[in-house]
Amino acid sequence: MKFGLPRRTFLGMIAGTAASMSAPFARAAANDAVTIGWPNDVPTWDPNQRFTPDAQSIFKAVFDQPLDQDPDLKLIPSLIKSWNLAPDGLSMAVELRDDVTFHNGDKMTTEDFRYTFFERIKSGPKLDTGNSMKKVQDIVIESPTKALMKFDSPAPTMPQWMAFLGSYVVPKKYIDSEGLDNFVKKPIGSGPYRLAEYELNSRIVLERYDNYWGRKAKIPRVTIQIIKDPSARVAAIQSGQVDCTINVPVREVQRFEKEPGFAAEIDPITRVILIHMRSDLAFADKNVRLAAHHAIDKAALSKAFYGGAAVPLSVLATPGTPGYLTDFTFKYDPELAKKLLAASNFSPANPVKIGFATTNGQFPSDYDIARAVVQMWKAVGIDADLQVIEYAKYFELNRGNKLPEAMLYSWDNATGDPEIFSGYQLNPKMPFSPWKDEDIGNRVLALFNIPDYDKRIAGYRELERYAVENGATVPLLQSVVTLVRKKNLAYTKYANGWLLPQTLQWS
Amino acid sequence: MITTFVKLTAARLLAAIPILLVVSTLLFCVLRLLPVDPAAMSLPPNATIVEIEAKRREMGLDRPLPEQYLIWLSGALHGDFGQSIQFRRQAGSLVAATLPATIQLALGGIVLAGILGVGGGLLLFRLRGTIFEPVADLASILLLSIPEFLWGLILLFVFGVVLHVLPFTGAVAAGLPLPPHITGFLLLDSLLIGRLDIFTSACEHLILPAVALGLAFSPTIMRVLRSSLFDVYHEEYIQQARLRGVSERKILLGHALKNASLPTLTLAGVQFGILFGGTLLVEVIYSYPGMGNLMVDAVRNVDLPLIQAIGLTYCVVVLLINTVVDGFYAVLNPKLRVR
Repeated sequence: MKFGLPRRTFLGMIAGTAASMSAPFARAAANDAVTIGWPNDVPTWDPNQRFTPDAQSIFKAVFDQPLDQDPDLKLIPSLIKSWNLAPDGLSMAVELRDDVTFHNGDKMTTEDFRYTFFERIKSGPKLDTGNSMKKVQDIVIESPTKALMKFDSPAPTMPQWMAFLGSYVVPKKYIDSEGLDNFVKKPIGSGPYRLAEYELNSRIVLERYDNYWGRKAKIPRVTIQIIKDPSARVAAIQSGQVDCTINVPVREVQRFEKEPGFAAEIDPITRVILIHMRSDLAFADKNVRLAAHHAIDKAALSKAFYGGAAVPLSVLATPGTPGYLTDFTFKYDPELAKKLLAASNFSPANPVKIGFATTNGQFPSDYDIARAVVQMWKAVGIDADLQVIEYAKYFELNRGNKLPEAMLYSWDNATGDPEIFSGYQLNPKMPFSPWKDEDIGNRVLALFNIPDYDKRIAGYRELERYAVENGATVPLLQSVVTLVRKKNLAYTKYANGWLLPQTLQWS
Repeated sequence: MITTFVKLTAARLLAAIPILLVVSTLLFCVLRLLPVDPAAMSLPPNATIVEIEAKRREMGLDRPLPEQYLIWLSGALHGDFGQSIQFRRQAGSLVAATLPATIQLALGGIVLAGILGVGGGLLLFRLRGTIFEPVADLASILLLSIPEFLWGLILLFVFGVVLHVLPFTGAVAAGLPLPPHITGFLLLDSLLIGRLDIFTSACEHLILPAVALGLAFSPTIMRVLRSSLFDVYHEEYIQQARLRGVSERKILLGHALKNASLPTLTLAGVQFGILFGGTLLVEVIYSYPGMGNLMVDAVRNVDLPLIQAIGLTYCVVVLLINTVVDGFYAVLNPKLRVR
């Protein structure tokens, strides 16, 4: 059989097909839309359920928080117009806006506020907000816009928590009528965008909510393409399939900086990379703990793994936050490390043996940093047995007292408040720290009950120095976020690394 | 012929039941041996020991291992694999949401592998004894040595980044809506609602990952087909056909290929299982919303219920495909037909 298709027609069809195929993705979006390449999906659409720092920018597009933060992390009103924390820290009066509606048109009131921060928490240990709101004894509704939060012990950081992980007001009436499962399938919030489409592990499509009470988003449609592989994210921005992406390798950012049409940035954020220390086993010896800290060349780690952009830290706080100490530096001094070890009868020839756990792929270059630290320790006389553990197992191992002496860890604190930095990291009663020593533990616990802001901050600044000087923690670096975008796509830069879709705009 | 197919498929399906039981037992036991506590991991970090113990009882983890297995198996038979630790949703519903995309991708991959494999095998055979044979042989070995994820990256770079002719993220273009879940298969659903634009976009998004899978698995088919053709060409009936004056082209395509395809078909069935597993990395590279992508998340988060659900689903799909392939084998092979 012979087909009578002329060659010219056939070639024309191929060319036409190729042109039609390339058209949809020659440019990721028109001016009324933007596509973002994002490294992770949201774990669930119940925003109170899981504390996932990487999902906050997405949650903040769909849901509103009671309070918000400006780009410099200062607390600002949001759903809460005004708040007043009692001097004893045992209650907080809040007044909500009266012009907020959820995406189904229902008005947001104190009923929703109480449901989110009290009723849901008390229903069982199912939500991560159960941790942040555990002091909430009751929320007394005074009117649709006024309520009083009551705490069982002073809660000085409650305003900060109102703008932090998991604190998103969810619609009580909608969840009651539709059920939680349906809410998770078709979530509604009161944020600047409504969720238009969601495909697990693939994409999230947001459409502007035109009745939003606050500043309207400039771009009506945002597509968040979940691209887990960093190389694929680089390829996607390079080829124009996305307009903006984050968490690409540092070397790629440096390359994009030189490419016309792209803007690339490496920005330090309020996330610290640290080594958690146990207060027992081989680290019961203070000399060994301090030697472990003096032996680490943090500037070299920053240069090797973050292009020098990650700021070396001496305390568990990032520059610009209230707990940061500008007058304290814990110096890199391998000779001093050797002397400290010698005082405890250890040397490179007779090293002290410790276990050292790390994640691999939990945050950029984690495993590589751990390997470099092992080499630095080896040079002074600390022989570390490096073990890779899954981040998901961390809390279980810590609860069972099964972590090794040291653990490389990354901690995000978008609020910048010192309680959520050193307070949480050194509190022996919380699940985060393997440090269980009573001396530092009691100092931390006392700070949790100081309602006066200035006194509290002064206390944390003192604690941070004390903890580091006693080898209770080894702060390493201020983490960075990398971002590559089309040059004509502007965004608002937040000190905590948020990339909020509602701040994006084409120029 | 249909009777043969049905009877053999039914027999194979019955034989698959003990295999499934063994696999499910292994899957359950191996994961239970991991030093992790699913109860503790199902709860927020601040959960107390009492709450963890209560959760352990709720999950049946305080009972003897055989009893736990029976509870799990009974649930699995009803599609209840427990709640995912990471997503805090039913693991079964997560698998159901992602399985069609993986099947669609794997089918695309195996069809391409078949086309490339058969075409390449015939070409290799036709080049036998020529000066091109060593070159073709070397090329097939080279193809054989490139795994699917490397093909994925190469194709992404060449056709996505350099030539800009094909998309490589997701399953459909960003500007197009997702069709409602009717069958769960994007291509089919877009046709059912009459949206050719979505169908075209879904096809474009399927090309690169399917080709990556196809290229990785075609060389094996290619080489097996060529070897089978060599064997078949030594059979008497080929010589007789030549003596009857049948053309070489007709001998190859009309007589030899049909007989040589039997071992190739068996291999394709086995390959489908491997190819189905190969979707895992390809899905991650192309952000394809399938079960492989989900598995990577599950493993990273030690999400035992989800790992078990996906593992068992992989096993069921592979067994089903092998059963169907065995049925076709019987249809093609007259010796196995029931009289």
